[in-house]
Amino acid sequence: MSAVDPVYALGLAGVLFVLGLLGVLVRRNIIFVLASIEIMVNAAGLAFLAAGARWGQADGQVMFVFILAMAAAEVAVGLALALRIRRRFNTLDVDDLRKLKD
Amino acid sequence: MPDTAWHIIEVVVMLLLPLLMAGGLTVVERRLLGQLQDRYGPNRVGVMGEMQVLADAVKLLGKEDWIPPFADRPVFVAAPAIILMSVLASFAVIPLTSGFAVADLNVGLLFFLAMSSLGVYSVALAGWSSRSKYPLLGGLRAAAQLLGYEVFMGMSLLGVVMMAGSFDLSTIVEGQRGLWYVGPQFVGFVVFFIAGLAETRRTPFDLPEAESELVAGYHAEYSAMKFGIFYVGEYLGITLVSALMTVLFFGGWLGPILPGWTWFLLKTSILILVVIVVRAALPRVRYDQLMSFGWKVMLPLTLINLLVTAAVILAT
Amino acid sequence: MTVLFYIAGAVAVIATGMVITRRKAIHALLYLVVSFLALALVFYVLGAPFVAALEVIVYAGAIMVLFLFALMLIDAGRAEEARERDWMRPRAWIVPSVLSAALLAEVVYLLARGGVPGRTAAGAAAAGGAAGVGGAAGEAAAQVKAVGIALFGPYLLGVELASILLLAGLVAAHHLTVDLDSEDGETAGAADSGAPGRTRQKGGRP
Repeated sequence: MSAVDPVYALGLAGVLFVLGLLGVLVRRNIIFVLASIEIMVNAAGLAFLAAGARWGQADGQVMFVFILAMAAAEVAVGLALALRIRRRFNTLDVDDLRKLKD
Repeated sequence: MPDTAWHIIEVVVMLLLPLLMAGGLTVVERRLLGQLQDRYGPNRVGVMGEMQVLADAVKLLGKEDWIPPFADRPVFVAAPAIILMSVLASFAVIPLTSGFAVADLNVGLLFFLAMSSLGVYSVALAGWSSRSKYPLLGGLRAAAQLLGYEVFMGMSLLGVVMMAGSFDLSTIVEGQRGLWYVGPQFVGFVVFFIAGLAETRRTPFDLPEAESELVAGYHAEYSAMKFGIFYVGEYLGITLVSALMTVLFFGGWLGPILPGWTWFLLKTSILILVVIVVRAALPRVRYDQLMSFGWKVMLPLTLINLLVTAAVILAT
Repeated sequence: MTVLFYIAGAVAVIATGMVITRRKAIHALLYLVVSFLALALVFYVLGAPFVAALEVIVYAGAIMVLFLFALMLIDAGRAEEARERDWMRPRAWIVPSVLSAALLAEVVYLLARGGVPGRTAAGAAAAGGAAGVGGAAGEAAAQVKAVGIALFGPYLLGVELASILLLAGLVAAHHLTVDLDSEDGETAGAADSGAPGRTRQKGGRP
């Protein structure tokens, strides 16, 4: 299966996920928030992969492919929104973007 | 341990050979272009102009290495390193002859695609970190061009993968013992050739670095050896693409009488010369023509090629 | 192999730490790419070479380039650094760090207690060691094929849905940014720089 115990990979996924969570909580720049979300998604993918490696099935990798597709679509839309926000409100501060209406 | 020594020899050869070829290419191209354009190329330095490589290298090393004060320093310095690293790393999976590859990965072809994806960063970052109009525009255009053509490059290779049944480059070469893949996969070959030209930013797709339009584009602010790295990096890219075409479509090291590596070098050299001739023959393509050609012509072509290949494999 | 995993894991963690603490967005992006490359190595060690290559090609090679594009278009300039320094006071980190540390402690505790079902910690070590020697080449080739067969077999619906999702993302991103430049006259180009025929952009000669 794999040369390393999948439990350690799960631990690594946990650490990365928590780091991404930290980034989402602390950073105020919307780009950094999006990047931290990407970190979390990637960590989740790693967890899937570790699970697949533990049971010796290809399903973990299949899940990761789907996660990849989802992350791509999400990043595209998220960045488009960020661009729009930048042009409209001239700020990238998530704390300033509090109201749906102007 | 003979095994380790053999590995070291492999590494040294696969590092030196492409670099020497790329270095020699700088002069060979100029002379060949000269022949095709009814003029002499560089023929003063050395017997036939071949020492021009040395002269160029000494000149570049001796130039003042100036980094613009308004540039983003770490990224500015890192950008040429990225392209050099990614191209040289790709050479690790190319088999010179049977059993002679630095890393015979079972996903070797995917590794090459991965490295070429990383090469996009070099161009985009070089453009951005220069913090100046023309490089930024050149960098953005180049990145969009590279991203688009990367898709077709990958897809054109899928036909070959299907016929060989593996991503491993050695297996693909072995699978061509009966017939080179350029026959059945001719569409794939053409698409890969064009995409390879676009990926290495060669004419007719060299708009990002066009001297007459964008003032040398994304590497406008680079001087001395960093520019030298971009310069040699382009020729390394050509060597890489030609080597890959040899491996994937023209049977790699297979051939009668002569030893494997001779055939490999012969085929690669011929393909490199074809690339140079293409530069002499074709005009530069406009950016929107380039993108629309890519997405509207190449993508359907690769998809059809994929379908037909799959259908034929299933039928037989 | 195990050493590779630990080194790659350490690089990934350190790089991720750098991502969330940088002031310049571009630097954070580049560290993120490094983190993804390290993770690709982790995937390879876990016996998933195909996914490792995909991670580099798609995630690090396309999605992050998209980030880079967007950053280049939202060019903030010198004001960015001052703003970021202002925003990232050390005090802001305290509560989130405490919460995150609590979460991490929980996860580590669960895993250390032998949390993966069906095996104890001791059994896990033995199985890991035995599989390690046999590991790589033949297994990996079978894995790549297995992934392909799984994608075209039981997970076919998922593939179709993923393609629809990507189409939706494409349409949405295009629609959201199609008239970006009519807002104000900032930097060149709309977000979808790959679209031909959008000649309204780029104030100078194309």
